[in-house]
Amino acid sequence: MIDQICITDAFLEGAKEVFETMIFMDIEKSSEPEQEIEGNTLLGSITFKGDIEGNLVGCLTICCGTACAKIIALNMLGMEPADELSEEEVRDAIGEVTNMVMGSVKTRLQDSVGDLQVSIPTVISGRWLENSLGEKASKVSIKVNIEDEYPAELSLLYRGTFK
Amino acid sequence: MAKSLMIVDDSATMRKIIMRTVRMSGLEFSRTEDAGNGNEAIEKLKAGSIDIVLCDVNMPEMGGLEMVKKVRSELPDCADTKIVMVTTESSQELIDSVIADGANGFISKPFTPEKFQEKLSPFMN
Repeated sequence: MIDQICITDAFLEGAKEVFETMIFMDIEKSSEPEQEIEGNTLLGSITFKGDIEGNLVGCLTICCGTACAKIIALNMLGMEPADELSEEEVRDAIGEVTNMVMGSVKTRLQDSVGDLQVSIPTVISGRWLENSLGEKASKVSIKVNIEDEYPAELSLLYRGTFK
Repeated sequence: MAKSLMIVDDSATMRKIIMRTVRMSGLEFSRTEDAGNGNEAIEKLKAGSIDIVLCDVNMPEMGGLEMVKKVRSELPDCADTKIVMVTTESSQELIDSVIADGANGFISKPFTPEKFQEKLSPFMN
């Protein structure tokens, strides 16, 4: 049975792969586990489920400030920092980042957990956003810094068992 | 002869990113189209043939897997159209299945210009 350390490692490595390949930004685990993201944030979310036997359901999210989200979108699109982007474009970019990180995590855990079916990502905005899977959900939460400047949080909630 | 390209993805941002990455790979196309799901893509293919289609798997209305099956079974004029899936899905079972249904290749997200160069170059001549 897979443990939380494996999930955490796969999650961080998956995020690094996406950020380095598609966004050209560094992402590292924060040395301040209590850091908070201040101001308005965007939260990209994608749900997944495993095979029926394990009754596994879960949700992977990426949460960052709106300024960070804009930089992510600009970098993905190869645009200049001063270029304008619509809110929809920024949300779309965060949704795609969430989708790709889920894919990378899924690939890394595939031998251990089997195939996971994933949803289409959704993105919400606001303050103090967090996701929930109700009681008895396990949580992996990784506080990160993007480009050593922007705090963000990667989290994975799940209920049931990985294989 | 210059080739035509269609990018099929429900994310407008991802369609732009793919187009940008294709340009960075050095591949040149005479015409590019895009579509937000399999249904739109099929309508555009009926209107005029496309040489290469880059297609996501998970899309609303009609996903990439269904689109491949429909193109291969219902659009004989598109028999020479190359369909390459561009997706986060990576299971070998899915890859084998979509290739068996008529896709011509597979590119995983996240991707690089070099990956597009590698996978699409054989279809450019």
